[in-house]
Amino acid sequence: MIAYKSQRIAYPYFVVALFLFALQVVMGLWLAINYAFTLPQGLVDVFPFSTARAFHTNLLVLWMLLGFMGGTYFMIPEESKRELFSVKLAWIQLILLVGTGVTALIGFLFGWTQGRPLLEIPTSLDFLIVIGALIFLYNVGMTMIKARNWTMTQGTLLAGLVTLALLYLFGIPFYHNLSIDWYYWWWVIHLWVEGAWELVTAALFAWLLMRITGVDRRVVEKWLYVEIGLFLFTGIAGTGHHYYWIGAPKYWLWVGGIFSALEPVPILLMVWDTLRHVKERKAAINNPVVWMFAIGCAIYHFVGAGVWGFLHTLPQINYYTHGSQVTVSHGHLAFFGAYALLNLTVFYYVFAQLKGITNFRQVLGKWGFWVTSISMFLMGLAFGVAGVLQSYLERKLGLGYMVTHQNMQLWFHIVLVCGLFFLLGVIIMIYDLLTLKEEKAR
Amino acid sequence: MTDKTAKLIFWGGTLSSLILFLILTVDTHRQVGALTHADKLSAQVLDGKRAFQKYNCNDCHTILGFGGYYSPDLTRVYSRRGPDYIRNVLQHPEVAFANSFRKMPQQHISETEIGNLVAFFEWVNNIETNDWPPQDSKKYRAANRLSSAAGVSRGAALFQENRCFDCHKLEGVGGDTGPALDQAGQRHDEETIKRIISQPQSVNPQATMPSHEDMSASDVSAIAEFLAKQKGEGR
Ligand code: HEC
Ligand code: HEC
Ligand code: HEM
Ligand code: HEM
Ligand SMILES: [Fe+2]
Repeated sequence: MIAYKSQRIAYPYFVVALFLFALQVVMGLWLAINYAFTLPQGLVDVFPFSTARAFHTNLLVLWMLLGFMGGTYFMIPEESKRELFSVKLAWIQLILLVGTGVTALIGFLFGWTQGRPLLEIPTSLDFLIVIGALIFLYNVGMTMIKARNWTMTQGTLLAGLVTLALLYLFGIPFYHNLSIDWYYWWWVIHLWVEGAWELVTAALFAWLLMRITGVDRRVVEKWLYVEIGLFLFTGIAGTGHHYYWIGAPKYWLWVGGIFSALEPVPILLMVWDTLRHVKERKAAINNPVVWMFAIGCAIYHFVGAGVWGFLHTLPQINYYTHGSQVTVSHGHLAFFGAYALLNLTVFYYVFAQLKGITNFRQVLGKWGFWVTSISMFLMGLAFGVAGVLQSYLERKLGLGYMVTHQNMQLWFHIVLVCGLFFLLGVIIMIYDLLTLKEEKAR
Repeated sequence: MTDKTAKLIFWGGTLSSLILFLILTVDTHRQVGALTHADKLSAQVLDGKRAFQKYNCNDCHTILGFGGYYSPDLTRVYSRRGPDYIRNVLQHPEVAFANSFRKMPQQHISETEIGNLVAFFEWVNNIETNDWPPQDSKKYRAANRLSSAAGVSRGAALFQENRCFDCHKLEGVGGDTGPALDQAGQRHDEETIKRIISQPQSVNPQATMPSHEDMSASDVSAIAEFLAKQKGEGR
């Protein structure tokens, strides 16, 4: 049921992504165990929390980027009405990126790291990643150029991908001044998740909505302009919400506070937009699971990023919550809601297309969705309670860090339990995706 | 809404925010030197930053509030604990935190690197962070003491303000780095306690507790008087 043979390249990207996702979650559980229990010194010496955290977050970024890339390779032929420029290049790129990723992870075990959170990958490997990204952009760009079927959705996607790659460059140098270091660290992290990634996912999401709802392209694309315009308007200057306490000038308290407080607006618009398209659909709902993931993603995106982000974005509040478990709570809900669910939505849609299934088995997908969504939400709440306790006891009352953490232990045990359920949900989902088949006629 | 308005929102929104952001970035570069005392950014401080990255300290510890949240923020660790204590932790984390429920790895950091790390923390300590973090802000802790002193003795309030609880337990509350002080009054007389507070090495040359030489004599006396009364009836 695919129109272009080269779309098949999405499959290996997604399978690798799913595998890395499972590994990421296992590492998350290990981090929670580090929090909840006292580990022996001998173990801490050889596999410390720091290394496990680098695993957890790098796996996260890697599987999500592979998901976006696979999604792009699937979408571009349909949008531009042409086979991909080169399937071979897409394979080379996949092998290069996964090889680099695995090398980086093994390197972390031996202390080979750049030592900056989320950007631990050593500089020499960064260059391989840049090469991988260039191959990808070249492949996508050439397909679009040769096809000459420009659409707004393609343009948004390409703009997002190019920006994503350019921003990564700011994470590579060794900065002398720690404040400047963090200033540009956020050009990668914030401008990714609240800028470039929003563009990429907005485009993928718009394309998917057009496919499954059959709503007119003109309507979808008009609102896409408004959404990404507002995303970028609030998100670019909103970077300032990370510059309150780093040794940057005071005006960031105003600029960061005001612009980032507006960041939930475009997300809300996107939710409203999605629900409206679903209501005005011209196509029948044939795979409810895909719709469930799509609507769930829009709402969860708003809760995790919009609501949870807003809660601690004003400087008066951030003064107490900055760098506490409140941040972890938001990080998880936002990443899961906005980007994990988006990838999974695309995976479900694309897997069914690739396998030529019109009506696939629904029950496991529904279980996977609810088990992961609910357990992640409860996990976010547990991190959140721990974070509020920390903000109050450590920052407001001035108890020491370790004394405060003694009083937070209960919540890390709860995180661990939620995490186990989350892993269960992920396993259900991966099994379901890999064995997706036609529902037996009843 | 027409297509034209939609496009206008897109270009207007994106470009205005981008231009503002770039202008402020240039201005931040102009001011950051003064705000971070970049003139004191010596070669040793830089080497300290390199060591900080080499050992990936930042994935357990936050600094300026960023990084892993598994262990204490290091932005103000220099003024909080002083150079000798930091040195000791970096040499023997497995000993310093032997009683703690959370461990720091022994990474066999060389003496030179330890010196560089201390220089790095000393430099970071002076970055102007709008008085973040609150728990290390002198102003903020003093205000807390004033509001809590009403209910307890001055000595007890100062014990809290000067973070003795970070490392010592009283009545089961507090950290595990140093011994519980419920029996401090039985083990030492008031004079000795005063000396332990301001200069622990003068009582025990092997002591690793941070010294409090810049604490005023009246504050030291008040805490010592309070501790001398702790004779183990607690609990
Ligand atoms: C595996 C996580 C981990 C890594 C990696 C780590 N630490 Fe720690 N560190 C800890 C923990 C946990 C504590 C607090 C233990 C306690 O107080 O009971 C701590 C305490 C400290 C303290 C004392 C802080 C205070 O306020 O008393 C300093 C200083 C410190 N670490 C510096 C470093 C430096 C420098 C590095 C890198 C060379 C580093 N740490 C790497 C976990 C880690
Ligand atoms: C960073 C940890 C730390 C802090 C903060 C700290 N201490 Fe200590 N303290 C220790 C350690 C460790 C010892 C054990 C002896 C040694 O190694 O110095 C100790 C020992 C003592 C003793 C002797 C106890 C005994 O039974 O012999 C007293 C009294 C004491 N501290 C009082 C204080 C007071 C008062 C404060 C606050 C002003 C304070 N300490 C802050 C770590 C700390
Ligand atoms: C999908 C979008 C988003 C994702 C994936 C995301 C993710 C994250 C992550 C992972 C962090 C922690 C980074 C670190 O310090 O290691 C963070 C921090 C933060 N985010 Fe978001 N975020 C998103 C959107 C938002 C929005 C819309 C807002 C505001 C309305 C927001 C406000 C904040 C704030 C204030 C912090 C700093 C927390 C602190 O001071 O420690 N985020 N975000
Ligand atoms: C079993 C499930 C999981 C558990 C138990 C878990 C646990 C943790 C823990 C303990 C940390 C370290 C926080 C710290 O530095 O102190 C962490 C970091 C992080 N995790 Fe997870 N995790 C899980 C799944 C996930 C998933 C599915 C995502 C994304 C979709 C995710 C995204 C992140 C991010 C972005 C960070 C860095 C947070 C920050 O810097 O604020 N995790 N996780
Ligand atoms: Fe942000």
